[in-house]
Formats: sequence, structure tokens, C-alpha cells
Amino acid sequence: MKDLLDTILEPGGLTVHFQPIMELREEGRRLYGLECLIRGPKGTNLESADVLFDYVRRKREESLVDRACVKAALERARELPGRPHLSINVHASTLGRDHEFLVFLGDVADVNAISLSDVTVEIVEHAPPWDGRSFLGALEGLRRIGVRIGLDDVGLGQSNYRMILDCRPDYFKIDRYFALGCAKDPYRQAVLQSIHELARRFGGRVVAEGVEHTEDLAAIQAIGIDLVQGYLFARAAPLETLLESGLLGPDRKSGAPRVPDAEAPA
Amino acid sequence: MSGAVLQRMLVIDDEEPILFAAREYFEALGFSVDCATELEEAQALLSHVQYDIVIADLRLTGIYGTEGLALVRHVRERCPQTRILLLTAYGSAAVEEEARRLGVDGFLQKPKPLPDVAQIVFGLLGKTA
Repeated sequence: MKDLLDTILEPGGLTVHFQPIMELREEGRRLYGLECLIRGPKGTNLESADVLFDYVRRKREESLVDRACVKAALERARELPGRPHLSINVHASTLGRDHEFLVFLGDVADVNAISLSDVTVEIVEHAPPWDGRSFLGALEGLRRIGVRIGLDDVGLGQSNYRMILDCRPDYFKIDRYFALGCAKDPYRQAVLQSIHELARRFGGRVVAEGVEHTEDLAAIQAIGIDLVQGYLFARAAPLETLLESGLLGPDRKSGAPRVPDAEAPA
Repeated sequence: MSGAVLQRMLVIDDEEPILFAAREYFEALGFSVDCATELEEAQALLSHVQYDIVIADLRLTGIYGTEGLALVRHVRERCPQTRILLLTAYGSAAVEEEARRLGVDGFLQKPKPLPDVAQIVFGLLGKTA
């Protein structure tokens, strides 16, 4: 019988959705970037991302599947017009153990004509420490090739102060647990304020995930957080839906593949 | 449609025909049935879905032949309200004793006709057929 892992890794096994990250400005909101979110093989239990990555971690195949996810995401992102900034999720264990991951990322980006300066690697981690030296080396390498670093799920699990110190992230992504209901909860606001101040002192920015209500958005904005993501703006959706939504801008519906700068028409 | 909340069942076996038969049978009895073929797949599902009952083969794809015991341990530690049955064609007295020590709700010898399994399930869930 075919192993589920084979089903994940076969062509078309992974589906890419995109969720907009919005920037709040005085003159209004604008699209800041897109998070690439992976769904598992259709019609299987792994179609749900939570179950997919739980399974992958239990199989200890994070590196293999992270590579497949990055490849699927950047191949799909190639069709996005307007060079939006892209966030892709990678396990910390992959960065710590897969010594060729940076080369792989560079190659996939190159093949798909995506500049690494348009890419943020969002670090996810669910396990206790790995090879710390290799992990820190990989982070340094990512920065050297122009990739920005995000830390996912700040405030939960392994995304703790030590991880913040180790990663010195450009983006502090706050889990939806803290945003949901923050308008009426001064304690949640205190946590959001604290992380915002911490990010500022690290020279980073906060992205509040799970923003679903206008009153929560107002509270988040009052704290000074200006990058937000959530159902209030858009759900994660396939490329076609995103293009139809007009969120990429009125002139961005064509979905024409991007071409490398060097080959772009004058 | 009655509007009653369906009870959720997870069936784990590495043989697809067994899963197919179990799904058909228990869905006809009004259960919402998920199926899994691997230990890790079942554990991942159990981490994100609340099941009323789990029916697992003792031997799944793996090197030990007693992967079902790991599932019993997982269920008892993470989902104490969930009932769990193990089925096996190879179980020794020692394995059965270990399963009971871990907290399995029933240890059944294969082959076991589905109506017999259903009677045990109904008994555990306190419902009638």
C-alpha cells in the first residue's frame, strides 16, 4: 500500500493557498505581502494543514516536506502579478538539520524568477531544541542571501524569548489567540503591547494574525501594530480566487507569469 | 434530517478493504467515520479532532507489530473521554495485559463480525442500536 508520505510528495500532492498580510496606514490599508499556506492531498485526512504538519512532525520528515512545500509555493507564486512579498513557513528543525536547504531555496527561487529579497522565511517550531549551532548558521545564511526572518506563533509553545533572541526576527507573528477578542480584554492588549515594544527594540515589526473583528482591529491599531492578517480582510484562498478578489490591485488580475528582471522588456 | 449530533468514530487499519467495510457499516448506523491507515496519521487526527470512539488494529504498518498499544497510550493521555477498542489476530496474553494496563476499553480477537463490534461500541457509548 502506498505510504501517505508518498502521496504528499507526488506531483500535485500539495495545494498552495495565499493569505494577504495588510499594512495599516493613515491613508488606508494596502497589501503588504502574502503568506503561502499549504494544504495536503485532496480527499485525505491530511488536507487539513494542522493534521498534515502534525503527521509530518510525527514521521520526522519536516525537511523533506518543507522542501516540497517551498517548491510548491514558489512555483505557484511565480504566477502572481506585481511581485508581492511572500512568506513561507519552514520548521526550525529543517534549518538546523538540512544543511543544503539554503541552496535549495535559492535554486527554487531562481528557477521561478523570484527575488530572495521578496521572501520571508517564517520559522515554525513545535519541538524542543535541535542542533542550535546549525540553526543559527542557517539563519545567518538566510540573512546573507537577502531573505527576511519571521517567527511564527510568538507567545506560544517554542516561540519563546529564547527563540526571539536566537532568531532576532524581522517579523514577530502573533498567534490569533492573542488578537481574538483583544478589544474587550485589557490583558490581551497588554500582551500585544509588550510584544510590539519588544519587536520595536529588536528593529522588527509585528504581524497580528487572526484579526476577525473591526473592534479588535481598532484595538490592535491603537497599540501601534500596523501589519495584520485574518478573515476580516481575506481568508486563505487559491491563486485564482485571490486574483478574482481584486486584492492584488485593479491592474493585477492577469496572473501573467513574472519574468526575471534581466529578461523583462524595456 | 434529525439534527442530532453524530458520534464520531476513528477506525485504524492498514488494510483498505477493512476500512471500507467499517466505514460503510458504521455510517449506516449513524456514526461519522474517519479512517486512517498509519499510526502517525491517527495520532495527528486525534490531536485535532474529538472522537467518541476509536477502533484500531493492534498491528499497523510499522516495525513493532503492536502499534495499537501506542494508540491506546495516546488516547488515554490526550483524550481521556474517548473510548478505544483494539482488534487483533495475533495478540498474546502479555500484549492483552499490557493493553488493559494502558486503559483499553476492549481487546477483541479477529475476525470479529461487525455487528458484534457494533454491540460492544453501543455498550461503551451507552446507546442502543
